[in-house]
Amino acid sequence: MTEITKSKDLGNGWVELNIGPQHPSTHGVLRLKVKLDGEIIREVEPVIGYLHRNAEKICELDYYCDSLIYFDRMDYVGAMNMEVGYLEAAEKLLGIPPPERVKWIRVIMAELSRIAAHLVWAGAFGLDLGMLTPFFYCFIEREKILRVFTETCGSRQETNYMSIGGVYQDFNDKIVYDIEEFIEQFPAKLEVIFNAYVKNDIFISRNKGIGILEPEVAISYGVTGPMLRASGIDYDVRKAEPYLVYDKVNFDIPVSYKKDNLARFLVRFEEMRQSIKIIGQAIKKIPDGPYFNPKAKKSLMIRLRGEGETYARTESPKGEFGVYLVGDGGVKPYRVRVRSPSFKNLSVLPVLAKDVMIADMVAISGTIDLVFGEVDR
Amino acid sequence: MSILLRLQSLFSIFGHYLSFILAYLLETVFMIVFVMVSLVAVIYLFRKYMARVQLRIGPNRVGKFGLLQLIADSLKLVGKESVLPRGRDDMPFRMAPVIIFLGLIMSFAIIPYGSLYWVGSLTITDSDVSVLLLFAALAIMPIGELLAGISSRNKYAVVGALRGVAKDISFEIPMMISVLALVMMASARTSTPLNLTSLVSVQFIPYGIPQIIGLGVFFIAMVARASYSPFDMGESDSELVAGHSTEYSGMRFGMFYMGMFGSIFLGSMIVSILYLGAYNGPFSGDLGFIYLLIKSLILVILAFTIWLSVPRIRIDKFVNLGWKYLLPASVINLVIAGILTLGLGL
Amino acid sequence: MVEILEESRGKDGRRILKVARENLVALMANLKDQGFDHLSLITGVDRKDRLEVVYHIHSLKKNEYIVVKTETLDERVPSLTSLYDSANWDEREQYDLMGIIFEGHPNLKRMFLPENWAGHPLRKNYDLLKVQYINMDENGEDYATFDSGDGW
Repeated sequence: MTEITKSKDLGNGWVELNIGPQHPSTHGVLRLKVKLDGEIIREVEPVIGYLHRNAEKICELDYYCDSLIYFDRMDYVGAMNMEVGYLEAAEKLLGIPPPERVKWIRVIMAELSRIAAHLVWAGAFGLDLGMLTPFFYCFIEREKILRVFTETCGSRQETNYMSIGGVYQDFNDKIVYDIEEFIEQFPAKLEVIFNAYVKNDIFISRNKGIGILEPEVAISYGVTGPMLRASGIDYDVRKAEPYLVYDKVNFDIPVSYKKDNLARFLVRFEEMRQSIKIIGQAIKKIPDGPYFNPKAKKSLMIRLRGEGETYARTESPKGEFGVYLVGDGGVKPYRVRVRSPSFKNLSVLPVLAKDVMIADMVAISGTIDLVFGEVDR
Repeated sequence: MSILLRLQSLFSIFGHYLSFILAYLLETVFMIVFVMVSLVAVIYLFRKYMARVQLRIGPNRVGKFGLLQLIADSLKLVGKESVLPRGRDDMPFRMAPVIIFLGLIMSFAIIPYGSLYWVGSLTITDSDVSVLLLFAALAIMPIGELLAGISSRNKYAVVGALRGVAKDISFEIPMMISVLALVMMASARTSTPLNLTSLVSVQFIPYGIPQIIGLGVFFIAMVARASYSPFDMGESDSELVAGHSTEYSGMRFGMFYMGMFGSIFLGSMIVSILYLGAYNGPFSGDLGFIYLLIKSLILVILAFTIWLSVPRIRIDKFVNLGWKYLLPASVINLVIAGILTLGLGL
Repeated sequence: MVEILEESRGKDGRRILKVARENLVALMANLKDQGFDHLSLITGVDRKDRLEVVYHIHSLKKNEYIVVKTETLDERVPSLTSLYDSANWDEREQYDLMGIIFEGHPNLKRMFLPENWAGHPLRKNYDLLKVQYINMDENGEDYATFDSGDGW
């Protein structure tokens, strides 16, 4: 039996506290080494890697078409966006553009997935702050989206719906009807959830002015997505470098100049409303046509060869999701590199959570919107 | 005719002294059973109510409407291995949940329950200083929390216990000042204003009406005492895992859990006794106890609703609230009570 | 002006600049002054005989992407942490998985894997069949071991 080691003396009366990897507020397996001065946090050091599977290596060992499922498992709450991100790169590398109808289908699915991811975040953020109830309201709405996914591809979360040059299955009337029904009733439900948060004085006092992220710091740390937009920079890949058919739909990019937790909260909720707008237009504009590129038939799929290199960036719910593919002319990618937005967004936590209270740090790490499948890959 | 005298008459063959001792013992057993049953009822109510608010169904598998779920849960907790941390301070660690439970039971013993139909008065102890006794018994529970936090040798538990102390200090003083205002008002009418029974009996209009500020302060204090959201900083699950009860498992944890629900029920009862006229009402001779239960259950539901709808307040904000708002409010309340008592002779 | 060895365009139409390792920091500082303030991604590519490091930098104002490539034979590349904060974690990740040593990095520790993990998984010569187990020591720190131990 070993002696219990005495806790390290840090001087200044500071205490070292290990938050995570099993902890209710760390959204998975984040581990934070925190130095506490009473209630105040003086230093934070995120320790990650507890969900590391090295998807990049696994992708190198697989055919181009098979790598897709590892992308589903990166941001597992917004899996469709990950698929779009990988396929944007892979299709460019392999030279198999998707047909027009597929692009619209992908936009619809990606936006539905974005709403689902933001709903998970909204619920979990409430839990971080000690609010139980909105979590269930969020998840009921999310379940409706997942039902649409189940209808289209048979799976709820790790959908594996898209494939190189197409999608697994065409939209039928029921799916279209379900999506239309969802976007019709969702805005009212979203307002209920939104009001449950913002009409609460304690919620406002916990978030207003907490976790200020200056735009220069955000850019230097590579922060993207809603976090960057909440710091006052209107950078969204869907507008900056439109992929799929985002240039043919009309939507706005919410930007807040307040830079704090509340700004990030509001930006994400506004994004959900914009996503509804996009889906509403796309479901009307979706053209007829084939739902896969004939060059990418299932039997030909494993013979696809890619050469050269591409980098595709897409806007995932967490931020700019980039995939860098290098091919050497073989049937397997030579190098796959993923720019995961959560990873970059997490790296700014030591700056944000300096000299704040424990409760504030939990709120701040809640607004970063971490999904550990993506941080650790 | 009170329940004590009825029990004593049952045992009258044993002689005067022994019969009273036996009657007290049996009464205590009754009370503990009552506390347990009411705790189970409150927890069941909470789970069902929470489920309804959150668009769920709640427990519905064990027994009709899931009524036996709590029994199943507590059996599970009893059957679980009680893991003891290696670096604990043994005696305080084992004592802490017992102390909390003891404080709870003691406080329940001091409350006047009113009378019920033929049973007569259900009040157990009737001391002339029962207000003081009650708040002394209430003050036992934080000791258990502090002991639990310090003895379990866990940093989360220590931080949780320290938060608990900071919380207690900031609401106890406003709470006691509001009680002082009550005693002051009652002293104009009765010679024993520190007796809870006479404090209730002088409430021709419930004290909550002239002392609405005191009612608010006291209710906030009681919610904070039960460490209910938004004042659950001490065991905030998303920050400190479970605060002072982090290292506890099995029935020891169950005692903390019951202590939490017990203290909201107790707190609601105290609020309804002090401010809402307790068992007063039409036919209070027969139905007094029912009135008390109804009043306190309404308050319990109110506390649940607050729990389910607000996020956790930050500890420094709560200390601010206690010292900057609750304390002045309670002093103002005291002044109002003085004016009402001396000036208007209420 | 920094000497650029080769300029080309990738399949996706992005400008690719190739520089010698010695000129990397100067080029990046130059590009940063031109408004490329966002270091998006650092990638190490194992070309078997040499290691290639690819930097994707981006200008938020001009909305332009530039890919900067450099090569190294002895696994050493200058660190960009003095220019971009985001290089910190990216370089740690590449050090962890690819074994590129970034000179001048303030805290070059492994990002995902335990400190004593043998090998760098993304190298082409990494032996996938050699199983390593992760365990926890008395102080709560993780370490890797080839011994499966009792816990497995």
